[in-house]
Amino acid sequence: MDSQASQAEYDGDFGSGAIRPVAELRGVSKSFGEVLAAQDLTLRIEAGEFLSFLGPSGCGKTTALRMLAGFETPTSGEVLIDGERVNDLAPYRRPVNMVFQSYALFPHLSVADNVSYGLRQRRPRIERRTIQDKVTRALETVRLTGFEKRRIWEMSGGQQQRVALARAIVNEPKLLLLDEPLAALDRKLRKEMQIELQDLQRQLGITFVLVTHDQEEALSLSDRICVMRAGRIVQIGTPQDLYDNPQSRYVADFVGVSNFFDGAVFIDAGGRARLRLAGGLEFEGRAVGDLAAEGEACLSIRPEQIRLSREPLEGGLEVVVQNRIFLGEHTEYLVRHAVLGPVIALAPRQSEIGASGFVQGERAWIDWPDGAALIMRRI
Amino acid sequence: MTQRERNWLLVAPAAGWFLVMLVLPLSVVFIFSFGERGAAGGYVPAFTFEQYANLPARFTAFQNTLILAPLGTLAAMLIAYPLAYQLAVRTDPKWKTILLVLVIVPFWTSILIRSYAWIYILGGRGIPALIEAMGLGDVQLIYTPFAVLIGIVYGYLPLMVFPIYVSLDRLDKRLLEASSDLGAPPLATFFKVTVPLSIPGVATGCMLVFILLMGEFLIPLLLGGGKVFFVGNALVDLFLQSRNWAFGSAVAVMLIVIMLVTVTVYMRLIARLHTSRDDVSVM
Ligand SMILES: Nc1ncnc2c1ncn2[C@@H]1O[C@H](COP(=O)(O)OP(=O)(O)OP(=O)(O)O)[C@@H](O)[C@H]1O
Ligand SMILES: [Mg+2]
Repeated sequence: MDSQASQAEYDGDFGSGAIRPVAELRGVSKSFGEVLAAQDLTLRIEAGEFLSFLGPSGCGKTTALRMLAGFETPTSGEVLIDGERVNDLAPYRRPVNMVFQSYALFPHLSVADNVSYGLRQRRPRIERRTIQDKVTRALETVRLTGFEKRRIWEMSGGQQQRVALARAIVNEPKLLLLDEPLAALDRKLRKEMQIELQDLQRQLGITFVLVTHDQEEALSLSDRICVMRAGRIVQIGTPQDLYDNPQSRYVADFVGVSNFFDGAVFIDAGGRARLRLAGGLEFEGRAVGDLAAEGEACLSIRPEQIRLSREPLEGGLEVVVQNRIFLGEHTEYLVRHAVLGPVIALAPRQSEIGASGFVQGERAWIDWPDGAALIMRRI
Repeated sequence: MTQRERNWLLVAPAAGWFLVMLVLPLSVVFIFSFGERGAAGGYVPAFTFEQYANLPARFTAFQNTLILAPLGTLAAMLIAYPLAYQLAVRTDPKWKTILLVLVIVPFWTSILIRSYAWIYILGGRGIPALIEAMGLGDVQLIYTPFAVLIGIVYGYLPLMVFPIYVSLDRLDKRLLEASSDLGAPPLATFFKVTVPLSIPGVATGCMLVFILLMGEFLIPLLLGGGKVFFVGNALVDLFLQSRNWAFGSAVAVMLIVIMLVTVTVYMRLIARLHTSRDDVSVM
């Protein structure tokens, strides 16, 4: 699969082939009756990395996480933690902690007792004094000093989120699993917590696995993102890698914004991939992913790759400007081509046209540099 | 109409009901308890503490009630909890309703008939015959405190199961997962999460059953066979048979006082238990 390619690239980046991964999924599948929630998941989670599962609702992210935590047993395949097969190991025996989407804080315990819960389960017992110190430090880390005696229902949503985090990190797990931990927070608080999460991960050096359907969140926080679709891993890679080298339209669309034009792919005389569109249009592009040599495909071009010009461009396309949205650093233009239809182009503020700006209904030309266009699967 | 007036109007029917159905009869009983028995029974107005001074005559009834009611409540709770737990936590949701209905099915027939069934089971041709056939000797089950206890537990079990079931059913299952995730084995999770969070249900069930047991008379009558009688039996006797209304009222007032005291103490205890921090609190 295409994920293989990026996996290899990733290994190259980190040069960590020799280090044993913290956790690993090997061909793991899970079905609930008729529903195939996860199919053939294969993934290595490296020590100290921040990995995200990204995908739309119902694609199996939570299922994958719950198999790592031990709440679900795979139907087939192997889950490994620290090199050991843990398929049948109960959650309470795994060196893994989870931050639940709904926090799942104990309502009958104070903040401090919630945080110390995991430490108090340890056998042989940890000394009271040590527990106290660790709890104090964990609450300090999530900036909740002084809230020890509070009851859970006396805390705001953001504070509860922090308690949940403290309750997990205080155990110093090998793997911290976070299931959409920020989904319930408002936008501003979510941004703050994202930064805190990232700081926390660097500071503690714990491996984080985050589940999210918010691409921005995944892009800004993760070292690597694992994009999922309908129970399968579609592509794994660094945020840059996914953005620059999406292997399918699904990934290009999910990670960032892109223009897609459907057509038929073929290999030209020079051995290069080209896409033939309706109306006799033809574009050269870099073929990515497991694309058939011939057949249906699509062309993907990121908006910021598209150059807009008032002067006719050699080999460019003539378009009509339809809309303009000022975005501060950039201006987003929606232009229309007779055959391609609507095209989004992002012009930086400094560029000559960015300064003066196009007006609605104006004629313009667009083109893009060699190598900017990718030819990929339509799904 | 002001908000305040409207509130009063809304409360009025309940207040009226409360006055007529509860306060009035209780006042009558209270007044009667200071009176005297008429020559042909009934009540003759007077103001004397004689009836209260006579209370020790019914000591055994009070003793039986005050031993068997809490014991029966405790036994019913110990049996109901695992049952409710199984129903609420372990049972497939599609079976829950059916099984719950089965719990209340016994309520569809009168306790009188069901107690008669127990008379047979515990009587000479029931379990004792079986034990004798196995050569384990001759045992008397019927007309013992034990028989009354069995009857009580059997009769009041559904009342105990329901509140416990509700509190366990409402328990967020993710809390159990969180506990397991934090390293607690199943038994620790049960005692540290499930039990504390089901205390409100247990408390409600115990209170319901205890209060009703304090006034019970049918089960002791049938399964106690006149040997094990409750305050309730004493009341039936005093009001219906010997027609000593004044003394009966004194017994009733005494029962109410005892109940008020125990229930108050009990509620205080539960409230404290519920707000107390975890036993191994570190702070
Ligand atoms: N316990 C279960 N029983 C039956 N089906 C389940 C169960 N858990 C998950 N599923 C199904 O498996 C699929 C994947 O679910 P999962 O919860 O992993 O999705 P998700 O990616 O986390 O979605 P979301 O973003 O909405 O949380 C869904 O179709 C879901 O209905
Ligand atoms: Mg989910």
